[in-house]
Amino acid sequence: MRINGVLIDNTFAEAFPMKATRLIITAITPKWAYRAANSLTGFASSVIGCGCEADIERELPPEETPDGRPGIAVIIFAMSRKQLIEQVSKRVGQSVMTTPTSACFAGSHSDDQIPLGKTLRYFGDGFQISKKVNGVRYWRIPVMHGEFLCQDTTGIVPAIGGGNFMVMAKTSRLGLAACECAIKAIRAVHGAVTTFPGGIVGSGSKVGSKYKFMQASTNEIFCPTLKGQVKSMLTEDIGSVLEIVIDGLNEAAIREAMRAGVKAVCKFGPRKGIYRIGAGNYGGKLGRYHFHLRDIMK
Amino acid sequence: MTPLSLTLRRNPFARIDMSPLTPDRLAGLGRDAIARIMLACGRQRIRVSELFDIAGRDASLLRIRRATVQLFRVGFQMQSGSVEIAGNAGDNLGERIQGGEIRVRGDAGEWVGASMLGGNITVQGNVGDRAGAALPGQLIGMKGGLILVVGNAGDRVGERMRGGTIVTLGDTGSYLACRMRAGTIIAMGRTGPHIGIGMRRGTLVMGRKPAAMPTGFRSAGALKMEFLRLLFKQLGTVQTRLALFRSFGPEAIRMAGDLSVGGKGEILVLLNGSQGQTK
Repeated sequence: MRINGVLIDNTFAEAFPMKATRLIITAITPKWAYRAANSLTGFASSVIGCGCEADIERELPPEETPDGRPGIAVIIFAMSRKQLIEQVSKRVGQSVMTTPTSACFAGSHSDDQIPLGKTLRYFGDGFQISKKVNGVRYWRIPVMHGEFLCQDTTGIVPAIGGGNFMVMAKTSRLGLAACECAIKAIRAVHGAVTTFPGGIVGSGSKVGSKYKFMQASTNEIFCPTLKGQVKSMLTEDIGSVLEIVIDGLNEAAIREAMRAGVKAVCKFGPRKGIYRIGAGNYGGKLGRYHFHLRDIMK
Repeated sequence: MTPLSLTLRRNPFARIDMSPLTPDRLAGLGRDAIARIMLACGRQRIRVSELFDIAGRDASLLRIRRATVQLFRVGFQMQSGSVEIAGNAGDNLGERIQGGEIRVRGDAGEWVGASMLGGNITVQGNVGDRAGAALPGQLIGMKGGLILVVGNAGDRVGERMRGGTIVTLGDTGSYLACRMRAGTIIAMGRTGPHIGIGMRRGTLVMGRKPAAMPTGFRSAGALKMEFLRLLFKQLGTVQTRLALFRSFGPEAIRMAGDLSVGGKGEILVLLNGSQGQTK
């Protein structure tokens, strides 16, 4: 299969079940909402070393936020409920509550609730105020900028992590140009995020290593400098491989995000240095979800 | 199905306990069964059919027409459905209501929503004393739900209130929010004396500055209370009538108290409340 001259490999992305929650961060201006969101989603590229994966989903206009202020929706993914509870509490406490004028609300609704303000309220040292509005409990924590307003709990939902595709290009510069367009296209898909810096992975990994203490190590079959040295997946003309990893709230969101991303990349074509699209998998033995590139791009 | 309609034939000679007639209690009953329900009328018991003309079938929306103040305990412990009252309602409207909605086009008596747990009560006219307050012998008043009074309210609104929201667009009497434990009262009109006496927790939002600084309260000055943005926006989603609050800003004078009882309650006097424009 070729799209605009770009070869689509007959392969699939292998993804895993995760737990996720969406949070809505509001502040006095979009700038300050972004500052809180950027801080919360910082160092959250991969569960391998960060404890969670998180990214900004989209900007919310005042009409869509609970308190009528500009907001940002972020989605946080973790491998377990317990891990998510820990990460949400730490990140909202250290990144959102510390941002001047910020407030934090639940953005996903389910019967399975985890603490949000419920644990952060103790920062109020007895001066915190509980308020129930429309049946939803909020905490007003007095802080130096005024009050930090935070919903009591947030809903967690089953999610999927590890949807991906690889962009095989002539050079990193040409690959990045195409990938940046792909990230823009993926941003338009609700319920899907790309948690790596700028949404693009420069050092995709495989599971395991020759070193026992390493959980993951470089994916040598996609490393251009190791062509000839290992059983490489790359042809002579490919000088750079970039991976776009997508986490989503459901299969449809990941499928739509992959489709939008691959389509955007393929627009560049071989003339602009984009030769092939591949995907990362482990032979289908580890992940429950398989996203076949050619099915998605039909 | 057309809503179940009960039209009062004549003004009864004594007060009628309307507690058996709620949408959830009438659900599944035929017109004949409803007609045979006995209501306490003073010291007597009278069939519904002797007092009301019955029309319609759908009890989930109960309409009471030509209602008078003699009809008390309308919507008692109601759990779901909707009650519309054309006319006036007597005392204890929506007492201990747990869910559903009651709308009164006229006035209502005392103890509106007393000890209520949930649901919505809207009174287009005035209400008597002790709206949302604790019933005699009880330590805790309203615990949840919403009472909206478009007109004026009497004394002791929200006395011993423990949760939920009361909104009065008109004036309120004395002892507003006294001994309040939690919850929110929004009083947009003029208020009587002795506001917040014995208030432990909870929030009283005032559209107008009180005539005198409430005893036992200390001012924190004018502040932007960001919580008010949330409150005002969310109230608009419960009741279209309350959408007017969306135009209000969060600027308010915050007073904490009642400090004489170690209270951590608050009075927020809105600085940009559209005074006189809410009714």
